[in-house]
Amino acid sequence: MVKLHRGDIQGIIFSAYSHLACASYLLLRIEDAAATRRWLTGIADKITTADGKEEVFSINLALTYCGLRKLGLNEATLNTFPIAFREGVASQNRSRILGDTNNSAPLAWDWGGDPDSIHILLLVYGKNEKALNEQLEQRKAELADSSGTVLVKELSAGRQPDSKEHFGFADGIGQPVIEGNERHEKKQRARTGHATVVKAGEFILGHVNEYGIPTTSPTVDAAYDPRRLLPRYEVPLDLRFADQSMAKDLRDLGFNGSYLVFRQLAQNVAGFWRFLDAATHGALGQSDPVARERLGAKFVGRWPSGAPLVLSPDRDNVAYKDENNFGYTATDRDGLACPIGSHIRRCNPRDSRDDDPQKSLQSVRRHRLMRRGRSYGHRISDNLVEDNVERGLHFICINADIERQFEFVQQTWINNTVFGGLRGETDPIVGNQDAGTCDGMMTVPGDPVRTRISNLRCFVMVKGGAYFFLPSINGLRYLGTLGS
Amino acid sequence: MDPAKLASLEGLLQEIQDSNPTGHHAALPLADLKRLHFGSMVIFKDPDGNYDPTLVFENNFDGELDDYLEDLLERAAAGLHQIYSHCFDYRATGSQDREEILAFLHAHIVRPNAYHIGNVGRGVARIKQEEEMMDGIEAFLDGFAREGLEGVSPGSLRNSIQRFVESKPEWAWARQAQKRMTFAERLIPWVKLIGVGLLVLILLPLLLPFLTIYVIALRWREITDRSEIPSPEQGQIQRLARREDHIVQNHMASLCYVKPGRFRRATLRGVLWLANLVARVSYNGKLSGLDSLHFAHWVLIDNGRRLLFLTNYDGSWENYLDDFIDKAALGLTGIWSNTMDFPRTSFLVFGGARDAARFKAIARRTQAYTNVWFSAYPKLTVQGVDKNSTIREDLFRSLCETATMNWLRRF
Repeated sequence: MVKLHRGDIQGIIFSAYSHLACASYLLLRIEDAAATRRWLTGIADKITTADGKEEVFSINLALTYCGLRKLGLNEATLNTFPIAFREGVASQNRSRILGDTNNSAPLAWDWGGDPDSIHILLLVYGKNEKALNEQLEQRKAELADSSGTVLVKELSAGRQPDSKEHFGFADGIGQPVIEGNERHEKKQRARTGHATVVKAGEFILGHVNEYGIPTTSPTVDAAYDPRRLLPRYEVPLDLRFADQSMAKDLRDLGFNGSYLVFRQLAQNVAGFWRFLDAATHGALGQSDPVARERLGAKFVGRWPSGAPLVLSPDRDNVAYKDENNFGYTATDRDGLACPIGSHIRRCNPRDSRDDDPQKSLQSVRRHRLMRRGRSYGHRISDNLVEDNVERGLHFICINADIERQFEFVQQTWINNTVFGGLRGETDPIVGNQDAGTCDGMMTVPGDPVRTRISNLRCFVMVKGGAYFFLPSINGLRYLGTLGS
Repeated sequence: MDPAKLASLEGLLQEIQDSNPTGHHAALPLADLKRLHFGSMVIFKDPDGNYDPTLVFENNFDGELDDYLEDLLERAAAGLHQIYSHCFDYRATGSQDREEILAFLHAHIVRPNAYHIGNVGRGVARIKQEEEMMDGIEAFLDGFAREGLEGVSPGSLRNSIQRFVESKPEWAWARQAQKRMTFAERLIPWVKLIGVGLLVLILLPLLLPFLTIYVIALRWREITDRSEIPSPEQGQIQRLARREDHIVQNHMASLCYVKPGRFRRATLRGVLWLANLVARVSYNGKLSGLDSLHFAHWVLIDNGRRLLFLTNYDGSWENYLDDFIDKAALGLTGIWSNTMDFPRTSFLVFGGARDAARFKAIARRTQAYTNVWFSAYPKLTVQGVDKNSTIREDLFRSLCETATMNWLRRF
């Protein structure tokens, strides 16, 4: 097992900061790179690390590809970043992979559609409104004063009454545990009855991943790190790319860092529940609240309380709320309880991806995300009445390989129209229903035969997004010294 | 092909590819070839300049070669003439000069050293018929469900489906369609494979000294072989990626240099021969656990100096390569470790592809842009084809109660 130097790792990789109820995300554009670098050097000491727990507030910081370029990182180094990150989430290729078309196309986004408009993301958390506002005021004063940046947008994730997302289902139950993080493992086991322990390299660069080798990390030629702020690039010679092994001495810019995916997802709550309502109308056109909730649960794969359909197929059962100790192969191969195409079965197929459950679990471990998102906007007062208020999820996830983790889940599971032997359907909650090979359907298995819900629409729309590099504290300090 | 005519051919192939709908270009109407599952045309350009550009026309078809070629010439002589006019040794004077075109084709046909077929025993026509019938039954079931499924027994529902299918004269074939494979077709590949296994066992004492020398020679090469993989090149990857994920299947064409020397060439021939024996018994839709391969070919060309790989697969490229690594790392390392710059291996099959990032980098580097690609059934996966077949095959079979329930659950 690896010993991690937690003081060098940003806290958000290890903690969802669930004790800090309020959060705000500041999107910044760099105007004066020299001033920004000085500001970065200063703030590096204030960043919350994975070492110990901040009781009142937390601050984390990440940069886009354009931001790194703007800061003055040289071309050779920029080229060692992975292609997905370099292209950015709003590029044509990424949009096709992610299913960001029609109403979710980057052209119509509120932010991030122009990749060079966002350079830095500052994530600020507070234990209550007062603590958050105090922090925000301080940070914003400092930003306006001396950071050389412009505040492009402030996204607020206010306090929510519970851990449910806006559709009304408990969220964030299944979460992988980084190997060696025993506290989190214990907590996860106590809360959900289960913990999927995953190698540190799946979420932290420079460490061994689920393939048994370190995930590829961006590197700097030693000549560009005269103060030796960065550690040596320790990947064995025969695992390096040729153009990297030519250089004698490389420094690991990614070490202890990661990548952060941010997507603002607007949820059409009334649209969702009214669709379910219409699909479950009785013979005389009357609403059937029980059938409506049951169909919603079939879409999600869990009941509103979080109870998984696999364990409680017929009705919600709070005894199973937050329960995560289950699989599909042995008890629900055909999806009679939890539909094959349901949201949670697509996002994490567990033991059902392969004929061999063990192999399936192993291969699924290579595509896990550390979810750090939070809801924004007020709860709807009546699920069935459109109030024209925007609400949704600031989806945030951490992964060491954007292509193999976030994009893979999005493309091969969520938006795959032939997932698990289905035909012409995508994830009923977050899938792209407008894709060319999608018929806007959802198959709900049952006896004597399945029913198919048709004419599905997109109830979740992408409103903005960016791929960020989440540097280590050392990495941040290094970025602050660029050009000097 | 003639390098001076490269731009012209690329333009022509692009025009063919852009025809709408796909496969209906007047000169090369691949969609009219009723025996063709997947077809592609790829121009391989040699980055090292040792070879002229190579044009590969891939055909995955049903039935006998001669029948297929006749059909091809009947419908696409004009396109073939235009295309092959860009190649050396092509002598036909016009598209009416069928004999010359045919002779040219025959002279340039290469058969794979190893190949895999995902849906054995089902021709294009059958696959499409079964899909059409499946769509019909699904719609019928939707209507049935609207009326309410309460109290409907599995048996009576199955009866209704049977009556529905029987009521359609265009589905009369469904009752008497032939089996996927005969007993002999299943048995013979096993006999061959087991025979080879037994022979090796019997001869092992004799082979042992040679084997020892071989392993030492192999290990020596594995330690000293060059493995220089440059970081993936963004422009090349973007160009390839733009071509992908438009339908449920994708195409991948790659050409690698085999490592120099007789040792590697002979090893690769041996490995491919063995892979082919294994692939022949993999007739249930899976090759070493990979269930997304419609067709895969490995062909040694240029006297064994280059390895051509062509495949039509389901899902994203990323998923395909991950699957390859997760499920078939030994086999794929066994084959490609004999090609230039493959990530370091030990004992031929270990290591190598496990180094996922660099394995993917080299896979992208050796992959060529697919100039023309056609799929006869763009919405079907290997598993989808199989599902349709099994439902159809069991439609009129007598089933017990449990089997009836399970059959209905396949929809």
